[in-house]
Amino acid sequence: MINFNNVTKVYGKDSVALDHVDLGIDPGEFVFLVGASGSGKSTMVRLILKELEPSAGSITVNGVRLSGIPRRSVPRHRRSIGCVFQDFKLLPNKTAAENVAYAMEVTGQKRRAIRVKVPQILDLVGLGEQAEKYPDQLSGGEQQRVSIARAFVGQPPILIADEPTGNLDPDTSVGIMQLLHRINRIGTTVLVATHDREMVDVMRKRVVALEDGRVVRDMVKGGYANEV
Amino acid sequence: MRFNLGFFLREAAKNMRLNALMSVTAVTTTAVCVLVLGVGLLVSAHVEGILRGVGKDVAITAFFPEDVTREQIDQDRRQVEGYPEVEEVVFVSEAEALNRVKDMLSEQPEVMEGLDPDIMQASMEIRLADPEASDAVAERLRAEGFSEENLNYPQQTISQLNQVTGYVIWALRAATVLFLVASVLLISNAIRISIFARRKEIEVMKLVGASDGFVRTPFVLEGLAQGLIGATIAALVVVWGNAIFVEWASSALPFVPVSSSAVNTLLVLLVLIAVGVLIGIVGSFVSVRRFLRV
Ligand SMILES: Nc1ncnc2c1ncn2[C@@H]1O[C@H](COP(=O)(O)OP(=O)(O)O)[C@@H](O)[C@H]1O
Ligand SMILES: [Mg+2]
Repeated sequence: MINFNNVTKVYGKDSVALDHVDLGIDPGEFVFLVGASGSGKSTMVRLILKELEPSAGSITVNGVRLSGIPRRSVPRHRRSIGCVFQDFKLLPNKTAAENVAYAMEVTGQKRRAIRVKVPQILDLVGLGEQAEKYPDQLSGGEQQRVSIARAFVGQPPILIADEPTGNLDPDTSVGIMQLLHRINRIGTTVLVATHDREMVDVMRKRVVALEDGRVVRDMVKGGYANEV
Repeated sequence: MRFNLGFFLREAAKNMRLNALMSVTAVTTTAVCVLVLGVGLLVSAHVEGILRGVGKDVAITAFFPEDVTREQIDQDRRQVEGYPEVEEVVFVSEAEALNRVKDMLSEQPEVMEGLDPDIMQASMEIRLADPEASDAVAERLRAEGFSEENLNYPQQTISQLNQVTGYVIWALRAATVLFLVASVLLISNAIRISIFARRKEIEVMKLVGASDGFVRTPFVLEGLAQGLIGATIAALVVVWGNAIFVEWASSALPFVPVSSSAVNTLLVLLVLIAVGVLIGIVGSFVSVRRFLRV
């Protein structure tokens, strides 16, 4: 589903963020990408979204080589990947429902379809009551649920979350992780970049560890640290 | 992909409401620029109109000799009317010439008393289509047998006037173009500031998978609306001001040939609004593009 082949990413002249990374993720997997701050997690996410180009090596997503996607087709590529960020990245002038609807409007869907689907998805993430609230009227956890609803409303085959619990307290984080887990069970490939040690340890999922831009560990039912 | 005009219009309207201050700034900037531009257009139109009017008044006067016959006059007149450079020929009889002098001197009737009506000469006033042609027409008249002292044509004045007219008109046009360029920069800058404030939003839209066109369309509609509102206000003010000026000038400055026909009101209105709308569209299009590279 997602393949990194010998990918190197250098920022500027000599700031190496990823160093010859090889990684394969199969359809339907749930994968944690862990590592200290600055180890290169976000860089991998941005490469998958084709926000950045690799300095060397190649990336395939959904069987498509990213280097072969022309600029005008990048939006279509992004729509096949649901995206969740640490800072939620909600549109501040839109309500929860409008934020979710925007992701459908982007793909040119009919208003009727949008009116049916948006409340369903908000119910799914447990925000049925909060649909008409603006982001600044919602708690961090609720905002993150909205952003997950938006990422998932188009039913993309892949969902990527970059530090989804980075701004949330531990209790709220558990709820978010459970939501991601449920989305994975429906068949969505989920990649979560995080340095939330406890969360990774309790979920017992595949863990890929990065250190200074290199993959140092890849365990099927791993924990955050080495000894597990 | 379906072009969802309703969605884009709602987005644009909502953005303008939420960024009311920015919208007011863009509208005001457009209005001020279009206003100055419109005043410039009016000034050049009126100056051109006045200069043309003055040029039009320039005519050649050809006096007939004392002993001329009626037939001779009619024949000369028809002949001159046939010249391609000539617009109009007006015959002024001796009696008419006398009346004109009387009119001119009506304040001092005592001067008239000693005046011998016989010294008046019949003449024809030849109005020219092109003031430049007075030399050529004078030449033809001389060939017809009019002697130099019976011809009155201010050739010097005409060519000087035409030169000045040309300079003034070109200076005004150059100023208009310069100002137009300045307006484009000013207005697109106002739009850019308003879009810069929303660059994070644009980034998010692109991350969610919006195409450039999808992100751009509401902004362009917004620019269009702002340009339209600002330019319409300014254009109406310009046209209204022009009507007032023409009316005032015809009573306060009767000697200056200010004429309402110098300005095509509808054309000015349309041009000014079109300029405002165009700048709004182009300005927002260009400004958003800078933030679409995510
Ligand atoms: N835009 C950038 N320009 C230059 N260096 C960057 C940029 N983004 C990230 N880096 C560097 O690349 C390395 C990896 O960063 P990142 O992928 O953000 O790590 P993580 O998400 O794991 O914290 C860091 O050393 C960081 O300083
Ligand atoms: Mg990061």
